[in-house]
Amino acid sequence: MDELLGPEHQGKIRKVNVLTLEALTKTFQRAGTVVDSVNMQIEDGEFFTLLGPSGCGKSTILRMIAGLEEPDSGRILFDNRDVTRDPPNKRGIGMVFQNYALFPHLSVAQNVAFGLEVRKESSSEVKRRTASALGQVQLEQLGAARVDQLSGGQQQRVALARALVIEPKLLLLDEPLSNLDAKLRGETRAMLRAVHNASAVTTIYVTHDQEEALGMSDRIAVLNGGKVHQIDIPREIYERPATKFVADFIGRNNVIDAIVESVSADFIVIRFGNGSKVQILPHQKAADVELNPGTGVGVCVRAESLRLSDSNGFCSGELADVEYSGVGFSCIARTDLGSLKIEVPGSIQLPAKGQSVKFAVNEATLHLVKPS
Amino acid sequence: MNRSAGSIAVLLLLALVLWGYVVGPLVSTFQRSVAGGQGTFAEYAPFLDYGSVQSEALRGSLFISFLSVITSGVVGVFLAVLLNRWDFRFRRLYQALVLVPIALPPLMGVKAFYLLYGKAGTFPQLLGQIFNVSPASLALTGISGVLLVHTLTMYPYFYLSVAASLAQTDDSLEEAAGSLGASSFQTWTRVLLPMLTPPIVAGALLTFMSSMASYTAPLLFEVNNVMTVQIANNAANRQPLASAVAVTLAVISVIFLIVIRAYEQRSVYRTQSKGGARKRRRLTSPVAKFVLFISALISTIILILPIAMIFLLAFSVNYSWRTAPLPSAYTTANFVKMFSDSNTFDPIRNSIEMSAIAVAGALILGVTCAYVTARIRVRGKALIDIAMMLPWALPGTVVAFNLIVAFARPSLFSFGQVLIGTYWIVPLAYFVRFSPLIFRSTTSSLTQLDPSLEEAARTLGSTWWGTFRRVVLPLTSSGIAGGVLLAFVAGVGEFVATIMLFPKLKYRPLSIAINDELNVGRWGTAACLGVVQVVLVLTVVILMRRVEDRKTITHTS
Repeated sequence: MDELLGPEHQGKIRKVNVLTLEALTKTFQRAGTVVDSVNMQIEDGEFFTLLGPSGCGKSTILRMIAGLEEPDSGRILFDNRDVTRDPPNKRGIGMVFQNYALFPHLSVAQNVAFGLEVRKESSSEVKRRTASALGQVQLEQLGAARVDQLSGGQQQRVALARALVIEPKLLLLDEPLSNLDAKLRGETRAMLRAVHNASAVTTIYVTHDQEEALGMSDRIAVLNGGKVHQIDIPREIYERPATKFVADFIGRNNVIDAIVESVSADFIVIRFGNGSKVQILPHQKAADVELNPGTGVGVCVRAESLRLSDSNGFCSGELADVEYSGVGFSCIARTDLGSLKIEVPGSIQLPAKGQSVKFAVNEATLHLVKPS
Repeated sequence: MNRSAGSIAVLLLLALVLWGYVVGPLVSTFQRSVAGGQGTFAEYAPFLDYGSVQSEALRGSLFISFLSVITSGVVGVFLAVLLNRWDFRFRRLYQALVLVPIALPPLMGVKAFYLLYGKAGTFPQLLGQIFNVSPASLALTGISGVLLVHTLTMYPYFYLSVAASLAQTDDSLEEAAGSLGASSFQTWTRVLLPMLTPPIVAGALLTFMSSMASYTAPLLFEVNNVMTVQIANNAANRQPLASAVAVTLAVISVIFLIVIRAYEQRSVYRTQSKGGARKRRRLTSPVAKFVLFISALISTIILILPIAMIFLLAFSVNYSWRTAPLPSAYTTANFVKMFSDSNTFDPIRNSIEMSAIAVAGALILGVTCAYVTARIRVRGKALIDIAMMLPWALPGTVVAFNLIVAFARPSLFSFGQVLIGTYWIVPLAYFVRFSPLIFRSTTSSLTQLDPSLEEAARTLGSTWWGTFRRVVLPLTSSGIAGGVLLAFVAGVGEFVATIMLFPKLKYRPLSIAINDELNVGRWGTAACLGVVQVVLVLTVVILMRRVEDRKTITHTS
C-alpha cells in the first residue's frame, strides 16, 4: 500500500483500522448495481470523506455501514469483528441524516437524550450529558424548544449533538450541509471540524461537494458508478488525480488528449494536437499510465495553470465566456486544443471579446491520466 | 425492517385472519352459487336473459348508479366551485353546513327523505295545497326517490375532492392563461376544468361504488330491481340465486376498487408555483352578489332539511302525523322515555358494546396490516393490501351474506360454533366491514411518516419494538384515532348488514330498533334514536377536528 502514497507519506506509522469494507456489493432492482465490490480501510480518528456525484453509491455505502441496508455480498468489519449482519442498533454508531430526522414530537433536549434513554442511563447522567452535548454545538439555551421552531442550521446542530452524546465508535454524516445556504455552510463546516478535533471520533462524511471534501477531510475516497476511483489525502487527489473522472470532478480541470513523444530517465516529452510540446517529470502521472512513445494519454491541465501570454506558448484562441467571481475571472476559451477552462486573476486586464490571444501553461503542475 | 422469524409469523397470522373472515366467506358464497345441483352456472346464465330476476336487478343497479354519478357530480362540483371560488357573506357558515349530510344516519336519514318528499310527504302535501294538485302526483317514489337520496348524500364525494383540489391550486394558472390571451371561457375549458378531472373522476368512482352498494334507499322507496335487495330477499330461501347475485356484485365492486387504487397512484395535479393559497374573489355587481347569496342559501337549506326533519320528528308525538305536511303534536317525552325504557335503552347499549368489541379487533388487525404493508419488504404484501380493502369495497349486504353462508356451519374460524343466530355474528360483521377504515387511516399516517425517523431511532440504539413505541405510535396516533372513531361511529349506525344478521330480540342494536319502531308507526321514538346517532357522529367529528387542530407537529422533519 505504501507505494500508492506520495513521497511525503511513506514510512509513516500506520494507524489502527477501525472500519474495513471488503468487496462490498449492492444491487437494487430498479437502479442496478449501485455499489460494485468496494474495498476501503478507515483509520482510527480519521475524518474520511466519500465523495462523488449523485447516484455514485456513496450514500448506499454509508447506509450499509450503519446497518440500514444489507449488502448483497462482501463484509463490513468493525475492529476486525464482522458486523455485516448486525442490526443498526447494535453497531455503536452515531448518524446524522441529510434531512436531520429530528423527532417532531420531542423537544430539542429530549431528541438529544433519546439515545441515552434507550441505553437506560440514569436521569442525572442523561441530564448532564445532554447539557454537555448541547453546549458543544452552542445550543445550550434551546433545550426546551420544539423542533419546528428551529432554523435549518440549528436543527442540524441538534442532530449532531444527538449522534455525539452517545459517544459512538463511528460518526456517520450523510450530506449534512446540503440543505444549508452558502454562508451557513461555511460556519457549520468550521464547527464540524472543531467538534471532530475535540472528540477525535472516527468520522465518515458523505458529500458531492468537492470543496467541502478537500477542506475538511484527512482522506477522501472518490467514487463514481459504484466503484472507487481513488483514496488519498486531499492534496494528492487535487494535484495527482488517478483517473480522468477524478481529474474532471475535482476543481476546474481540462483533460486534453495528447501523445507521448519521447521517454527518458529524467523527463518525458508530450506532443499535443496543435503541435506544441511540453516536458514533464516521470512522477507526474497516475499509477496506471504506460509511458511508451506513441501511447495516447490524457493531460490534466488545471484552469489556474493556464495563463494569458504574449509569446507563442501552449495554445492560442479567444475568450468565449467570462464569469466574474470576485477573486478573478472564470473563463472558457475556444482554442486550437478545444474548449478550455481558464482562471484569470482579477488584477489582469482582460482582452476584448473576439481578440486573438495566446496561452502559456505551468509545466510543473501537469499530470497524466489514462485517456477515456 | 429485515425479514425475520417474527415478521414471518405476523404475516402468517394476518393471512390466516384475512382468509378466515374476509376472503374465505366470499369463496364460500361462490361455492354456494355453483352448487345448486342444476349445472355449475345455472344461476349465472339468467344474467344474459333479459327478463330474469338477475338481469333486471343488474340493469337496475347499474342504471341507478350511472344516474347517481351524474346528479351527485353536478351538485357536488357546483357547490365546491360556489363555496371556494368567491367570497360572500356567511360563506364560512355554508361551508360548515354543506357537509352536515355526512352525519345523516343510514336508516333514519332515508326515512326522513321519504317523509319529506315521498308519498304523503311534507313537500308533496305543501305544494299540493298551494297549487291545488293531488299530492300523490308530486311525490317522489321509486327510482326518482332513490336518486334524490343518492344525490343529496353522495355529493360529498365530489364536493370534498374538488374543493381540496381547488384549495391546492392558486390563481397563478389563471393569471398565466390570461397573460397568454385566453378568454374566461377558454381558461375554464382549457385549464380549470381539465385540472379538476382527477378529483371529479375520484368522486365519480366512489359515488358509483356507493350507489351499487345502496340498500336502505331502494328498500324504503320500494325499488326491488336492484342487486342488494335481491340478495337480501333471497338470502334465506333461494340461496344459490342470492349467491350468484352477490358474487356478481362483488366482482363489480372489486373491479372498481382496483380502478380506484390505480387512479390514486397517478400523480395529482398540484401547482408547482410558490404562490400561497387561493384568494377568493369578491364580486362587485349587486346582482351577482345576490344570485350567489341566494344559491348558497337555498342549497344549504335543501341539504340540512333531512337532519332537521329527524330532529323535528324526535319531538313529535307518535302517531300524530297523519295527513298534514308536518306532525301535529309535539313533546319531549320521547327523549325522557328513551333512557328509562329498556326497550329503547338496550339497543343503544347493545350497539355501543358491539361496536366497541368490533373496533378493538379492527384496531389490532388494521394497524398490523398497515405497518406490514408500509414498512416490511416482502413479496405478497400486495395481497394483504387487497384482502384488507376488500370489505370496504364490498357492499354491506354482500359482506353479511358471505358471513351467513360461511358460518352457517361450525368452522375452524368460529372455533367450532355456529355463529348464525348468536350475538357474536354482529360484532364479527362490523369487525370485517370496518377494519379497512382503520387500515386506510393508519396507512395514510404511516406513509406521511418519514422513514428516516425510524432509521435514526434504530441507529441510536432502539430496538424495533422500542422504535414503534417511542416514535411511530406517538406520531401516527392521531391518524389511527381518526380511523378508530370513524369505525366506531359506522358500527353504531350500521343497518344493511345488521338487518340480515341480527339474532335475538334482546341483542338488537340501534338500527334494528329504529327499523322496528318505524314499522309500527312510532316515528317519534325512532327519530329520537336517530338523533342519538346524529349526536354521536357530530361529537366524533368535533373530537377529530380538535385532535387535528392540536396537532402542531409536522410529520416530516
